[in-house]
Amino acid sequence: MQIVIASGKGGVGKSTVAASLIYLIKDKYKLIAVDADADAPNLHLLFGVNKWEEEKELTGAKVARINQDTCIRCGICYERCPYESIKLVDGKYVVNELTCEGCGVCKLVCPVRGTITLEEVRSGVIMKTTTRYGFPLISAQLDVGRPNSGKLVTEEKEWAKKIMKERELDHMIVDSAAGIGCQVIASVGGADVAILVAEPTPASLSDVKRVYKVVQHFREPAYLIINKADINPGFEGLYEFAEQEGIPILGEIPYDRAIPYSMAMLKPFVEAFPESKASKALKEIAEAVENEILE
Amino acid sequence: MQIAVSGGKGGTGKSTIAINLAIALRNYFDLTLADLDVEAPNDHILLGIELQNEEPVELFMPRFDYSKCIRCRKCAEVCEEHAIVTMRDGTPFLMPTLCSGCGACQIVCPVEGAILEGKKLMGHTYLTETPYGFPLITGKLLEGEERAMPIVVAAKKKAKALNKELLIVDTAAGTSNTVSKALEDSQLIIAVTEPTPLGLHDLELILKLAETMGIKAWVVINRSDLGKKDDVKELAKRYNTRIIAEIPYSENILKTYIEGKPIVLSEYKEAEIFKKLAEEVANYLR
Repeated sequence: MQIVIASGKGGVGKSTVAASLIYLIKDKYKLIAVDADADAPNLHLLFGVNKWEEEKELTGAKVARINQDTCIRCGICYERCPYESIKLVDGKYVVNELTCEGCGVCKLVCPVRGTITLEEVRSGVIMKTTTRYGFPLISAQLDVGRPNSGKLVTEEKEWAKKIMKERELDHMIVDSAAGIGCQVIASVGGADVAILVAEPTPASLSDVKRVYKVVQHFREPAYLIINKADINPGFEGLYEFAEQEGIPILGEIPYDRAIPYSMAMLKPFVEAFPESKASKALKEIAEAVENEILE
Repeated sequence: MQIAVSGGKGGTGKSTIAINLAIALRNYFDLTLADLDVEAPNDHILLGIELQNEEPVELFMPRFDYSKCIRCRKCAEVCEEHAIVTMRDGTPFLMPTLCSGCGACQIVCPVEGAILEGKKLMGHTYLTETPYGFPLITGKLLEGEERAMPIVVAAKKKAKALNKELLIVDTAAGTSNTVSKALEDSQLIIAVTEPTPLGLHDLELILKLAETMGIKAWVVINRSDLGKKDDVKELAKRYNTRIIAEIPYSENILKTYIEGKPIVLSEYKEAEIFKKLAEEVANYLR
């Protein structure tokens, strides 16, 4: 089974919840974890990973380059670039490689053949390791300023599937990025179940509604976990949303000021502070995940 | 002039700082705030206002006139996204979700009128007058669409067109090319982080991006009392940047965040942190 964890808004506790849930079910189920936030991968930190067994470079991203020796400074590429990624610097047209989408329009409209080329560049790296807990983890790091992070996620999942086959693993847990764009679509697509994490604030509610629409697009069953559940007493928005959409709530986790300290210990929260209220809630949620999703 | 609020990791407090900074900076500059976190835009929620003046962001999408198409396959060959597939006889078909709207197919098509201009809705931009004396521009990607870049470009263009003395840009999390598009042309990046290994990891990415783009960065440590600050200080030193503010975890900030009432306008003592930050930014820009 493939489970994706998503939230729309960043910083509501996706990775914290994911790491603890994985920690709690790891002995009973054969699983692989995938950190699909290639823009800002963090899951490995929560499992104390400090070295990778295998790394693969991912190429395929393209950027345009302008040969200044043959460029006639006509400015057509500058006018036609859909993303305004060509700039006029000291009388020369240059491509900003950090914003280029690699579409090739500039190359097509350039009247001097061969002046603008599309060159393949590295878009990032995918990594694999075995955590100290025994299960494998796949992660990725997009190079700064590169597009195509959705492709990176797809590659990660392909690699994970291969490992699942080799090691006869049953479940893939995907920790997705914030937002609703290509990385998240690549994470949600192909999953069997989505677990949404939200906090009781208007901003988080707005964003979780948006990511739920993506989940609906793929017709996947969704569940909700309310994190930092006690920071905004009286806020009904998440309950109303869950009821309206028929999304079962797996549980509520109270805010715990010790969470940053568990991060500093490079451990899942439930391992670092097993007796805390938040850990008790996480254990109940793990049971609910076992009973309602994995069984 | 332009400054950006970014930070790498999500949920560190970018939007909170962006809106409070904007309110505090209105005393120094005539300004626009642009929410370019188009996948999860929240500045309007934190400002307690409803988005207004919706405008669609539409992308070009090829529409084939099969009576004119000569089945040469050039459109399919040129498409970097492989969004055009051809049948055995060369008849092209579009897979709309893959299309980036760049228009390369139309440029390369040898027959006038064989590829017509179709439109695809990608999202919206909004221009909202805030009660705080500055306009808010917001970009919002349509749910189910993958490409944030066209919305970021459209919203930023709209913000720039207002031609105010200062543009404050609030970016998405991460360091991909949509974030660099938002950061582009900034004189200063306020990188908001939290003192955890996760915040630190992602802060380094954004500092690296700032360095690559040649933009000065300052660091704000949010929830500075929940974690280890020394590591952030060390990293800031390594990247030759200043820690410009430290904001302790605060129930008051959380309360005003939830209520959509910016803390900088409140009587709470935390308001001073944002006023001080605005003063530093104003001094730097002047």
